[in-house]
Amino acid sequence: MVKRNLSNQIRRLRFENGQMTQQQLADKAGVTRQTIIAIESGKYAPSLPLAFKIARTFGVPIEAVFQYENEDL
Amino acid sequence: MNRVQKMSLTIVITFSLGIFLGIILILMRFFDVGIPKIVFLFPVFIAGSGGIISITCFKKDKGTIIFDERDKLIEKNANLAGFGAVYLYVILMSFLPIGILGEEGSIPVTWCPVLLIGAGFCQAFAQSIAILIQYGRRDKNGEKKFK
Repeated sequence: MVKRNLSNQIRRLRFENGQMTQQQLADKAGVTRQTIIAIESGKYAPSLPLAFKIARTFGVPIEAVFQYENEDL
Repeated sequence: MNRVQKMSLTIVITFSLGIFLGIILILMRFFDVGIPKIVFLFPVFIAGSGGIISITCFKKDKGTIIFDERDKLIEKNANLAGFGAVYLYVILMSFLPIGILGEEGSIPVTWCPVLLIGAGFCQAFAQSIAILIQYGRRDKNGEKKFK
């Protein structure tokens, strides 16, 4: 079975962007705070449009927010 | 906890209580304790009250965004779980009377609507459990409640 890992830097980026709260990020990305919590803790993999929205909120490329690690690729 | 979680939790608690009471009443009847038939409506009333409470008591969540793609996915998976549960319920209810009463047995036709209500309860119960499992056990601050 292929091992997939999607990690993210949302927590670090929030603090680097004026200690942005989860609620503020949620409002900017157009999702609920629960979803941001789930993404941040790696429990939920966001859709591509949402991932782009989050990246644009921080003003960084998507690779700076989400990292995909796959042993086979 | 959002509104859907609160509703699901209420349904799971009241339905579980209804099922528990129902089992006790069936056991009491099995051992000839002597209880009137009308008492059997009590667990149904308790289970049904969960649905009514969940619809009427919980107001809409505050905030500009109350529903997003994750909620949509959870809702979709919960609907699938509910459908699967009803499917299993129908299979069970199709064969259970044969197993209990035998091939020559018969049941009153008045049981048919009861089975339909049971399917509704089964769907709501499975859907609520699926919703609670998918949202996980987290409090307002996003931290796990139990370690």
